[in-house]
Amino acid sequence: MDILIQILVTGLTLGAMYALASVGLALIFGTLGMFNMAHGLFMTIGAYAAFSLSGYLGLVLPVGLLIAMAAGALIGVLTHLLIVRFMLTGPNFETNVMVATAGLAILLQDVLLKIFGAYPFTQPVKVEGTIRLAGVAITLQSVVIVAVALVLISAIAFLLLRTRFGMTIRATAMNREAAELMGVRTTRVYLQVMGLAGALAGAAGLMISSLTTLSPQMGGDPLLKAFVICVVAGLGNVWGAGICAFALGLLEATVQFEFGVRFGFPVMLLLVILVLVWRPQGLFGRERVVRL
Amino acid sequence: MGNNNLRRHLLVAALIALAFAVLPLFVTERYFLGEVIIFLIWSIVAANWNLLMGHAGVFSLAQMLFFATGAYGVAVATQFAGLSIWLAIPVAALAATLLALIIGAACLRLSGAYVALLTYAIAEMIHILIVTDTACFRQVGGSCLQLFGGARGFSRFEDFGFRPLLKADWILGNYYVVWAVFAFTIFALVVVIHGRLGLGFRAIRDNVGYAGSRGINRRKIQLIAFGISAFLTGLAGAVYAGHFRFAGPSLFEFSSLMFVLAMVIVGGLGSTWGPLIGAAAIMTVVEITKELGDARAIVLGLALILFVLFLPKGLAGSLERLQRATGLSRKPGPEASTSKDPA
Repeated sequence: MDILIQILVTGLTLGAMYALASVGLALIFGTLGMFNMAHGLFMTIGAYAAFSLSGYLGLVLPVGLLIAMAAGALIGVLTHLLIVRFMLTGPNFETNVMVATAGLAILLQDVLLKIFGAYPFTQPVKVEGTIRLAGVAITLQSVVIVAVALVLISAIAFLLLRTRFGMTIRATAMNREAAELMGVRTTRVYLQVMGLAGALAGAAGLMISSLTTLSPQMGGDPLLKAFVICVVAGLGNVWGAGICAFALGLLEATVQFEFGVRFGFPVMLLLVILVLVWRPQGLFGRERVVRL
Repeated sequence: MGNNNLRRHLLVAALIALAFAVLPLFVTERYFLGEVIIFLIWSIVAANWNLLMGHAGVFSLAQMLFFATGAYGVAVATQFAGLSIWLAIPVAALAATLLALIIGAACLRLSGAYVALLTYAIAEMIHILIVTDTACFRQVGGSCLQLFGGARGFSRFEDFGFRPLLKADWILGNYYVVWAVFAFTIFALVVVIHGRLGLGFRAIRDNVGYAGSRGINRRKIQLIAFGISAFLTGLAGAVYAGHFRFAGPSLFEFSSLMFVLAMVIVGGLGSTWGPLIGAAAIMTVVEITKELGDARAIVLGLALILFVLFLPKGLAGSLERLQRATGLSRKPGPEASTSKDPA
C-alpha cells in the first residue's frame, strides 16, 4: 500500500510537469502547425528567470511562478516576432521551422551557459516541508506541482472553451482562411498562442527545476518526454496531450520502481511505438483525409 | 534529361575525387591532412543526410545514431569479437543499415514531424541507455568496460595499422582509406540521386498522393533511402573510429547532430553538392571562431536560423542563381525542381 501511494505520488508529479510542458507544445502545433524544438529552452529560461529575479522580489512561490511565466511568454513572443513570423507562408514550413527552432535552442542554451555557467544551482523558489498520508511522507513541493499544473491547465481549458479569445484560437487552428474571413486576426492569434505556450513552458521549467537543479541543458529531458507525449496523443491535440502526460507519468514511475530508473524512458517509448503501429494518427488524433 | 544530368554530375564527382586523391602531393602538413580527413568524413555524413532529408523527404533526426553505430560497430567488433578492422568496417556499416531498417519500419508508417520526433526520441533513448550502463562486460586493464563502453566510450583500440607500416607517414594511409570511402560515397550518391531511384524519392517528397497514384510505394521507397543513407553513414562512422581510435556517446549528442545539420542547411537541402560546400563552410567558420573563444554553438545556431530565413536553398542555391545570372548554366538540375506542394 505504501509503495502504491509512493508510485502514485511520483507518477502524478511527473505527469503534472509533463502536462505543463506538452500542453503548450501541442497548442503551438495545433494552431501554427509548427514543432517548437526550442520549447525546452523556454522552460529553462523560465526557471533561470525565477532563480535570478526572485532574489530581489522575495522568494515566495506565486511571485516566482509569475516571473517564470512572464519570461517564458516573453521568449515565446520574441521567437514568433523574430523568426517564425517570416516563415509561416513560405514553402517547407514544417521542416524549416523545426530547423530554425533547433538552431535557436542551441543558441539560447549556449548563451545561458555563458551567463550562468554549468554550476547546478538549486532552485530557491520552492516550498519546503512534508505532509504524511497513510504513513507515507509526501513533499509539499509535489503537492504544489500537481496543484499548479491542474490550476494552469484548467485555466487554459477555460480560456479555450469559454472565452471569445479561445474561440479565435480554435477557429484559427481549424482553418486559417475561414477564420480570417470571419474577421479573426490570425497573425495576432499566432502571437498570443506563442506567448501562452511560452508561459506554460516557463511554469513547467520552474516546477522541474524545483525537483532537480538548474542547468542550461535541463530542458532537454522534459522536452523529449513532451515530444513523445504529443506524438502518442496525436500532434496538436491539447486535451490528448494532457491526459497522456499523466498516464505516461504514472507508467514511468511504475517502470522506474519495478525495473530501475534507466528503463523508465525506453519502456515508455517502446509502448508509444506500439501504439503508433496500431494507430498512426495517435491515440486522440483524427485521421486526416488528404485531397489531391 | 536524366542521363545527361547523370553524366555531368559523374564527371564532377570524378573531378572532386581526383582533386582529393592528389592533394597529399601538394600538402604534407600532418595537421592540415588531419583536417581534410575530418572534412571528408563530415561531408559523407552531411551528403547522406541530404539524400534522406532533401531528396527522399524523410526528416530523420537519427543520422548521428547511424554514424555512431558504425563507430561503435568497429570498436565492439575489434575489442570483443577480435575481428580485424578491415572486416569490422563492413560489418559495422551493415549493422547501421540493419538498425536503420528496423527504425524505418517502426517510424515510416508516420510522416512529417512525427518521423522527426520519433527518430530523435529513439536516438536519445539509445544514448541514455549507453551512458547509464554500468554493468561490466569485461575487465580491461583492471578497469571495467561496458558492452557499449558506458559513459566514457571506447578509445585506443586497433586502428588501420599504418603506424608500423608507413612510420611517419601513417596519416597518409588513414587519408586514403577515408578518401576511398568518400569517393565511393559520392559516386554512389550521384548514381542514386540522378537515377530512377532519385526520381522516385523526389516524387514522394513533392507529393505523396500523386506519386502513390502513379504506383510508387512510399514506405518501400523511403525505407530504401533510409537503408542506403545509413549504410554509407555507418561506413563513415567506421572509418572515423579507425582514424581516431574512438567511439563514444559524444558522437551522437544533440550538438553533433546540429553541427552536421548546419552543414546540410548551409550547403543547401535537396542539392547534389551542397553538403560538401556546407561542410567546408561550417568547418572553416568554426575554426575561425575558435580563436575568438568558444562560440561554436552560437555560430551554428545563428547559421541555422539565418539560412532557413534568408537562404533556404543554401549556398548551392545561391551558386546556381549566380550561374544562371551570368548565363553559364545549362539545363536546370533536380536542384531546381519545385518545392513541396501544400497538399
